[in-house]
Amino acid sequence: MTLILTQDEESLRDSVRRFVADRSPLTKLRDLIGSGQPYDADVWKQLSAQLGLAGLIVDEEHGGAAAGLSALSVALYELGAGLVASPLLASTLAAAALGSLGDQAASGALLPGLASGELIGTVAWQPAVTVAATASTAAGGCTLAGQLSPVLNGAQAHFLLVPANGPDGLGLYQVAGDAHGLTSEPLTAVDHARSLATVRLDGTPAVRLTGDAAAALAHVADVANLALAAEQCGAMAACIAMTSEYAKIRVAFGQPIGAFQAVKHKLADMQTGWELAYAALRAAARSGDETPGQFSAAASVARVMVSEPYFEAAADTIQLHGGIGFTWEHDAHLYYKNALSGKVLFGGPQDQLDRLAATLGM
Amino acid sequence: MTDDFRERARSWLAANAPRRSSSEDDAESAGSAERVRTGIAEQQEFQARLYDAGFVGITWPKEYGGQGLTNAEQIAFSAEAREYELPVGAFVIGIGMPGPTILECGNEQQKKRYLPKMLRGEEIWCQLFSEPGAGSDVASLQASAVRDGDTWVLNGQKVWTSGAQYSDFGAVLARTDPAQPKHKGISMFIVDMHAPGVTVRPLRVATGHAPFNEVFFDNVRLAPDALIGEENRGWDAAVVMLRNERIAIGTMTQPRSSPLAYDSLRKLADRLGRAGDQGVRRELASLYAREQSVHLLGQLIREDAMAGRFPGPRGSVIKLAGAELGRYATQVAADVLGPQVAAADSDDVRAVQISIVAVPGGAIAGGTNEIQRNIIGERMLGLAKDPGVDRNTPFNQLRVGTQRSAKESS
Repeated sequence: MTLILTQDEESLRDSVRRFVADRSPLTKLRDLIGSGQPYDADVWKQLSAQLGLAGLIVDEEHGGAAAGLSALSVALYELGAGLVASPLLASTLAAAALGSLGDQAASGALLPGLASGELIGTVAWQPAVTVAATASTAAGGCTLAGQLSPVLNGAQAHFLLVPANGPDGLGLYQVAGDAHGLTSEPLTAVDHARSLATVRLDGTPAVRLTGDAAAALAHVADVANLALAAEQCGAMAACIAMTSEYAKIRVAFGQPIGAFQAVKHKLADMQTGWELAYAALRAAARSGDETPGQFSAAASVARVMVSEPYFEAAADTIQLHGGIGFTWEHDAHLYYKNALSGKVLFGGPQDQLDRLAATLGM
Repeated sequence: MTDDFRERARSWLAANAPRRSSSEDDAESAGSAERVRTGIAEQQEFQARLYDAGFVGITWPKEYGGQGLTNAEQIAFSAEAREYELPVGAFVIGIGMPGPTILECGNEQQKKRYLPKMLRGEEIWCQLFSEPGAGSDVASLQASAVRDGDTWVLNGQKVWTSGAQYSDFGAVLARTDPAQPKHKGISMFIVDMHAPGVTVRPLRVATGHAPFNEVFFDNVRLAPDALIGEENRGWDAAVVMLRNERIAIGTMTQPRSSPLAYDSLRKLADRLGRAGDQGVRRELASLYAREQSVHLLGQLIREDAMAGRFPGPRGSVIKLAGAELGRYATQVAADVLGPQVAAADSDDVRAVQISIVAVPGGAIAGGTNEIQRNIIGERMLGLAKDPGVDRNTPFNQLRVGTQRSAKESS
């Protein structure tokens, strides 16, 4: 297993990095905060359709690039570094669930739209949270009831994949975003780049998908760990770069503040944390493509190694900037909020350790 | 080309080298002077065979006894050798530190005289930098070398010298011009460890073992060709050597059988019935994640090196990460063992105890964590150097170590 990037991955990295710098700089996120829109529709169209990022893990038969999880992680790293708001993570997890289930009809109907970015999908589920929906079957077909929260891009999704307990046990159900009896209410998300909603289902028509629902959800949890680790690793690098630059130009007590060990050593610890996180991320990404049997543990390791260190680094980014870092105008709080949100979604730090311990047979 | 070399290394090792034993006690093996000393003759015999087979000094030039090959072959050999425990501990320091420094800074005569015998294990080397008053701030060292005719006379005390008791030569830093600022009046010399006036005493550390030595120089007369590089430019050579040291320490692979490794503590937790405790489970999972990441970072750095991106200051990252991992493992071990960590009732618990006591040494040896953080901050992130109030002051006007100033002592 080779950890360093291939040439293809390096060129993907460079093109996503250019795209973020040119089309979605941090001022874009501030525009969205101002307008209240969850993401920029043009940016989403470009990154899904033109850059092809929405189809990276969709197979070619369904219009995707079948580039694999490592390529996905490379793209998400760059998007995370720039805090690009988009439904890419939600749709990618929906694609991962469909890919794992192998329901031919659903895959044929949904994957091409996900791959092109025309459809937004989401998995209405958080690992380590009890399945809250129940399914019942009547003459007219199957319906779902329950409240799901928080659901990533729940207010924008064209379809939701909902785990629910029914007469035949746990199943994964497909629900249309505009289905009868479905209401979604946007939540006040701390990180504007990650739109979340509460979704209520009440006699909502649903289709039960074939395939192993528990295995699909486990795969979603693993892909979520890899994807979030990738975004967070990129964002952590952005925090370190931003803070190092400031420590070189800000002068106090007659010298650049980076000359003081109280500042220098904290930055060195941030850098060391990033190096370890990046190594773990690369291993998880490769494992997803090459050694699926070890993917779950590797993805947990990556998530454990980045989620908390990134949150700490984002807090230290504010701290080392001093007062200016705590202003609304400064970008530091955008990362801090992103780090907080990413730390707890799809399994928080303690959940991750429990999951890893279980994977290791403890 | 590399594939042929790798294949040759694989079959030679399979036929000649002992495999890693699984019951190895890391705390003992990391530096037990006794164990190394008793095995010197056998080590020299093995090193000579390894050398004659073409697997020592792989990247060194042929004219100085090396193989004249590339990093790719070196990395291939290291990867093949990972499964083995090569009995070559006595030569690691010489070939890892003074050797490359002589290669880079020494003169033609020194390279021809010393390097081939160093590689073949015929002469063993140590390095003598640290002093009781000069550790992190090694440039404040006080050992002195005074010119006398065409040679120098060396006086002073060195400390933390691994292998001094069986070394034939040492690379020593000494002050040659105390009127210069501290970095500018230092020279590096080759010292014959068998010369009159050299005294080596074992230095017992916190674990009770004596893996290092103190070395005293009392009017030791150096050879006329002893100077490595230029007079008063010894700091430049020292920087070369310290860089090599960090890479050597940082890329050492920690055996999985170390008592503080996840595998060992997991087994212990299972045996003691502690694995059911949620707090212990989480700590063990966290230890696994950290240990894996340090290991993976080592792999990433090696892959980068093969692709032509050299580690440079990343050696400091992996050294710091390894030391911090050790520190975390002590916490996990204490929680797994509970009161038993204070009073061992079995050999495996005793091994954990010794390892916990050895951990603080890992955060000091080869450059403290604080010095590594300075290097990471300055050379990776480009932060300003500490201006250093002592940088431009003549050494003989400085207060160093725990010396009391003239005012205080009067």
